[in-house]
Amino acid sequence: MHQMTPFSNPTMNKSQIHRTRPWPGFPTSKALGSFGDANCMEQLLVHCANAIESNDATLAQQILWVLNNIAPPDGDSNQRLACGFLRALIARAAKSGSCKLQLAAMANANTNLTIDTHRFSVIELASFVDLTPWHRFGFSAANAAILEAVEGYSVIHIVDLSLTHCMQIPTLIDAIASRHEVPPLLKLTVAAAVDDIPPMLDLSYEELGSKLVNFARSKNVMMEFRVSPSSYKDGFATLIEQLRMQHLVYAGESGEALVVNCHMMLHYIPEESFESCYAFESSSLRTMFLKSLRSLDPTIVVLVDEDADLTSNNMVCRLRSAFNYLWIPYDTMDTFLPHGSKQRQWYEADICWKIENVIAHEGLQRVERLEPRSRWVQRMRNANFRGLPFAEDAVSEVKTMLDEHAAGWGLKKEEEDLVLTWKGHNVVFATAWLPAA
Amino acid sequence: MPVDLDNSSTASGEASVSSSGNQSQPPKSTAKKKRNLPGMPDPDAEVIALSPKTLMATNRFVCEICNKGFQRDQNLQLHRRGHNLPWKLRQRSSKEVKKRVYVCPEASCVHHDPSRALGDLTGIKKHFCRKHGEKKWKCDKCSKKYAVQSDWKAHSKICGTREYKCDCGTLFSRRDSFITHRAFCDALAEESARAQTQVAVVNPNSESDPNTLAVETSSPVPAPPPVQAPAQAQAQAPPAPPQSTGVLSSVLRNKSPELPENTPQIVKEAPATTGLNGSCASTTSSSSNGSASCSVFASLFASSTASASLQTAQTPAFTDLIRAMGRSDPPTDLPRPSSTEPISLCLSTNHGSSIFGTAGQERRQYAPSPQPAMSATALLQKAAQMGAAATNASLLRGFGIVSSSSSSGQQDGLHWSQRQVEPENASVPAGLGLGHCDGGSGLKELMMGTPSMFGPKQTTLDFLGLGMAAGGSPSNGLSALITSIGGGLDVAAAAAAASFGGGEFSAKDMGRGT
Repeated sequence: MHQMTPFSNPTMNKSQIHRTRPWPGFPTSKALGSFGDANCMEQLLVHCANAIESNDATLAQQILWVLNNIAPPDGDSNQRLACGFLRALIARAAKSGSCKLQLAAMANANTNLTIDTHRFSVIELASFVDLTPWHRFGFSAANAAILEAVEGYSVIHIVDLSLTHCMQIPTLIDAIASRHEVPPLLKLTVAAAVDDIPPMLDLSYEELGSKLVNFARSKNVMMEFRVSPSSYKDGFATLIEQLRMQHLVYAGESGEALVVNCHMMLHYIPEESFESCYAFESSSLRTMFLKSLRSLDPTIVVLVDEDADLTSNNMVCRLRSAFNYLWIPYDTMDTFLPHGSKQRQWYEADICWKIENVIAHEGLQRVERLEPRSRWVQRMRNANFRGLPFAEDAVSEVKTMLDEHAAGWGLKKEEEDLVLTWKGHNVVFATAWLPAA
Repeated sequence: MPVDLDNSSTASGEASVSSSGNQSQPPKSTAKKKRNLPGMPDPDAEVIALSPKTLMATNRFVCEICNKGFQRDQNLQLHRRGHNLPWKLRQRSSKEVKKRVYVCPEASCVHHDPSRALGDLTGIKKHFCRKHGEKKWKCDKCSKKYAVQSDWKAHSKICGTREYKCDCGTLFSRRDSFITHRAFCDALAEESARAQTQVAVVNPNSESDPNTLAVETSSPVPAPPPVQAPAQAQAQAPPAPPQSTGVLSSVLRNKSPELPENTPQIVKEAPATTGLNGSCASTTSSSSNGSASCSVFASLFASSTASASLQTAQTPAFTDLIRAMGRSDPPTDLPRPSSTEPISLCLSTNHGSSIFGTAGQERRQYAPSPQPAMSATALLQKAAQMGAAATNASLLRGFGIVSSSSSSGQQDGLHWSQRQVEPENASVPAGLGLGHCDGGSGLKELMMGTPSMFGPKQTTLDFLGLGMAAGGSPSNGLSALITSIGGGLDVAAAAAAASFGGGEFSAKDMGRGT
């Protein structure tokens, strides 16, 4: 492993000029590869981020230059990861105070620096999501928990707050259809498509909904589909209000099950570190959302999200945190996507979008505000939910699913929750919640 | 003999009425039948608690003649008819019986509480078995165990068949993948649409010329093979029988893996029903005109069976249909592999490839920038390694592209949607905008920048030194570049270490195996 000791040598100026003492790690010839080391990359990125944050343009520029050479966008997984961060840092530098480039061109280059990710057709997205357990893990665990919770209900209202545009729903419909003696009535409510977060869909939710309704019908399940004009930006306030109204109407008399499925969506709701007009309020939108969710008395809430902390207000902290999480998608990539495939480019573009959002943006624009499982658990408990352990069936279901993927994927239990792991590192957690008494 | 004819026996009779498995029930009433509601049961609902033994008992209703056991009294009564014994079928009672709900006998179970009682007997039976019963049904192939026989049956049917095929031709090895694809695939939408149009098209024409009928109905035949099947059906309308059977068998075969175990009431399903009715109607109407009807069958089966088989292959209506077809079409030999072939072939080439295949070819078209970027980086590395001669021009180009590579992903994304990339564009948004300035100047700052690198940090607003220096002399470009690669590394690192205490960022073991 490459050590950083040469970096801390303060007396290298003279020797540098005369090049009398070759730097042990100097990338002559084949040694360049050693810079591909992830630790080294991370150090360089952190130095660069610090330089940018302290407006040291010269230093930043030098490190960027180095990084540019050791992190080609088509290198190995670490190099591509670093490249993603490099781009993000450039984007940040391009708009931050005294580092600002004097280019007039930069004005419109701003738009060019925005990563424009692929817009998926629904079929593309279905096969895309299917490639790795990243989403499937949550789908399996959530479906199993939901299936169990709604047993016996004749009306099941599913509120799908999902990043993946209802990709979980067909399997859920299928499971419900085959599990229930008399298929229940399904009501599916989704929040309006968020068009600014990948993966992006090239289909309207109305069309998506009619496909789902049609599919449900083919499975002998009657389904209603509704789009609520609501988004994470206001903590799904409209949606909650609509649900509250319906709740008053239906829940009292018919015993309708209310299922709230949150798949990698809640971390977009602004949380405490978000400085804005909400700051004067006593609690964040995130907290308020969970509280109002609890007030709906849902039958079950499933919360699946990525297990990392990207909420720090310190950009350098976020960079380290993101670097130490987002290596995973890059590392897994070779196991399911061939080099140079189209899907691979889509996949990487989506990760790069994330990186840039975390690094280059602030305020309202910075929406990737992941929190680790432990903090979500605390939030849910504070909102008066109690954890629901996953049943044995759910666990074996997930295990079976993981068996279909590369060997590096694993499953572990933390308290009552399930955690998807890659080479032992937490990737995605799944939790299920009931209203506490 | 019936063991315990307490209220559970009447209950089971009631349950069989609402049970979807019982196909002898009038369809309408099944569809309309509102299920007993759990969760917040009707205050009037009768809460029934059965003992585990009663719950698990199978075939409690035994025929006194032949000792055959039945799970439901209704079924026994039907059976008794065969022995010419007096029998009595429960009518759909006019005096709507009290709703019944069933609680789980397991005290620790959520459904033990009357407020979470289940609405039908079969439901509570299955629940009790699944959740609290012994898993005594074991799959021979994968050793997965099931408590409920029907679950096991359903699994056994699909276990080992690692292949699912959508009508669009795409193959799946996993059921989940197939289901998700299927839900969004146009093939399903077209089928349903077809099933609905069948009625509109067929019925009005039922009295008219069968030839017209054939043409009209065959037009909405399965989308994937639209060219072949209908075209042939029309072209060779008189001798078409093999074609029709071919379509039928292939559809059935492809469908079979995904048939749900508990064949739900097809009758409840609007489009399917209409599709079947439609085809039956046309069958009878067109059978008057022997030869032309064959092509009708072809299209009808191709479409209506597709949607019907989603639910069941064994509904009476369906078998009737098959029989009807057999009658009107006597000389047909059913298995004709040759005629199934074009369809599956056509399916797999049409859509499958466009989704998964040709990735390699399309890459060039969609993402040209990584390649120049790669060559640029390679070039720089090579230059650093060998110190070999390289022209300044190529270095300039190299750097321009390298820096552009930093935004190449964004560029790609931008252009993917437009499906093409103009090469000259690549340098314009090139991250640092190098494309706009005099190529030499930007590079020169980097190349010649060694003095400032070694000196104390300078605060310069010129981030990459763009537009600062005049055109650098080509001759020293190379050496400067080499210096700047080495020197840049050293100094950047040193400066960083000096200002931020690189020591504290000690190497952290991230445990990444690669």
